[in-house]
Amino acid sequence: MPTTFLNLSLILLVVLLTWLAYKYFELHEIVAPYQKRYKHLLSGIASMVDRIEGYNVRHSAEVAKICERLGIAAGLNLMQLQTLKTAAMLHDVGEILLPADVLNPEKPLDPEELFLIRAHPLLGELHLKKDNDICDEVPAIIRWHHERWDGLGYPDNLKGEEIPKSARILALADAISAMSNNRPYRKHQYSGREEILFELESHAGLQFDPELVRLWGKLIRKDLAEEIAEKLKQDDEEVEA
Amino acid sequence: MIRMQSSWLLESVEELLQVDSVAIPFFHRFSALNWLSHLEIPLFANFPVDSQAMLARAWFDVDKGPFLDKNLHKFNQLLTQPLNKETNPFEPWLDKFFTRQQIDYIYYWRESAYEIEDYSQREIFWSAVYQVMSYWLTNKKYRTEVFFEPDKIMAYYLHYHNEFIRGKQNKVEITSKHLSELEAKECSLVLFPLIFDDDTEEDLLQIIYYAWFHGHADIKLAKKEISLALNRYMIPFNAKSDYSKFLELAEKASSAAFCWTGKELAPRIHEQVIAEPIRNVFKTGFSKSKLYMKSVDKTTDTYDYLLVFKK
Repeated sequence: MPTTFLNLSLILLVVLLTWLAYKYFELHEIVAPYQKRYKHLLSGIASMVDRIEGYNVRHSAEVAKICERLGIAAGLNLMQLQTLKTAAMLHDVGEILLPADVLNPEKPLDPEELFLIRAHPLLGELHLKKDNDICDEVPAIIRWHHERWDGLGYPDNLKGEEIPKSARILALADAISAMSNNRPYRKHQYSGREEILFELESHAGLQFDPELVRLWGKLIRKDLAEEIAEKLKQDDEEVEA
Repeated sequence: MIRMQSSWLLESVEELLQVDSVAIPFFHRFSALNWLSHLEIPLFANFPVDSQAMLARAWFDVDKGPFLDKNLHKFNQLLTQPLNKETNPFEPWLDKFFTRQQIDYIYYWRESAYEIEDYSQREIFWSAVYQVMSYWLTNKKYRTEVFFEPDKIMAYYLHYHNEFIRGKQNKVEITSKHLSELEAKECSLVLFPLIFDDDTEEDLLQIIYYAWFHGHADIKLAKKEISLALNRYMIPFNAKSDYSKFLELAEKASSAAFCWTGKELAPRIHEQVIAEPIRNVFKTGFSKSKLYMKSVDKTTDTYDYLLVFKK
């Protein structure tokens, strides 16, 4: 009797697991196209903002990639990473509402124009949180992506760890991407990753979170070491050939 | 810790009424005034701690102009020789907070500023020391390389100050009064940023800076004096607080708002422990109230709160 009961339980368990697996895949089939569509839409909006900002590269997507690397290194969980990447794709969406001559000025901005520019994180947050779940953190991360570690950023002059980690990551990633690309308003263009890293390290504790800069330094040095190793390997192969 | 979000505050209050003046009866962080100071509305802020009031004057009393180049060259010199240890009152901070070179500079900057005749220029100079100290303490905590020589970082922050005040108009009235001297202000919004008895890096910086401002290195004394100045503004979480003084200070205002930041506790707890007791006291003077909250990090239950009242 006990053996029959056990067998029956096992059969029921297998049936239940099969049904659950079926339901999972069924749900996945339904959700996947929507996720893909959502990603494409996000990417479309981001590329529009990139254009408005005068980038000829996919700046927002690049920021999202850097955020992902930094976020993983900083120990963010999957949910936090997802939120951060979405915020990265939309971080400058508030600029859509600003006049074009303020975004691509031909002369240095006057204080009023500067104030307007500095309102873009607020405009982004305001419009994204409208009719949105109050618990969604994406608008808040966007609000604080121009705060500085030393408390002299904007809009709220948050300082150090008062700035949520995701917003600190986004601020750093945005700067890295901006430094990696030619920007018309900047006199000096950076020659490569090493020079950018030096600039970031010299501003750790001023503009950027020192711990995140350290993590980025580790990642870049690892990349460079791997690239050198790969190059040496190729050279060896050529010599042998 | 507090994340005072000025635009969120105005946006929320303006659901109830148009804000044309703001009073903050006690404040402890000068930089959080920044956003409000840009708006075309009169602003009153009281800093019970004198060193914080001085910082606020330096950054927001913009009519006095930027720090002058002639003062920069004269009073921000590169020290070529170590200073006399015997006369340096900040010697006890050696290795605990600052390095030998940094100890020399904070002493030199404090003393040399007394030679600046214009008091407002002196305050700007001293306010930059606050930023420099903050930078050095971060360097120490995170063991990061110091890229800038002291005179360079000082010049960096003085330049930053100049940029900060460029084109700004003075709309902020700053005072430094004790609770017993304070009176209710006629305004459309009175704001209370709640201070909890925290132990953050910013608190330590404020204590160190307060001691430095008063010319000594006694951290215990500085902490005690700050606590005294903030007495009854400091909210003991999980203990009964007396909010009746807040109501008195809000008497002549059309609306009142409390803002605070909460971590590691669900919003429901904040509503019960903080919002409800305030509501109970304020219902005698204000007919409407609404609690707003904003998610900062769900994984650590970090939220910012805003409790708004209207008469």
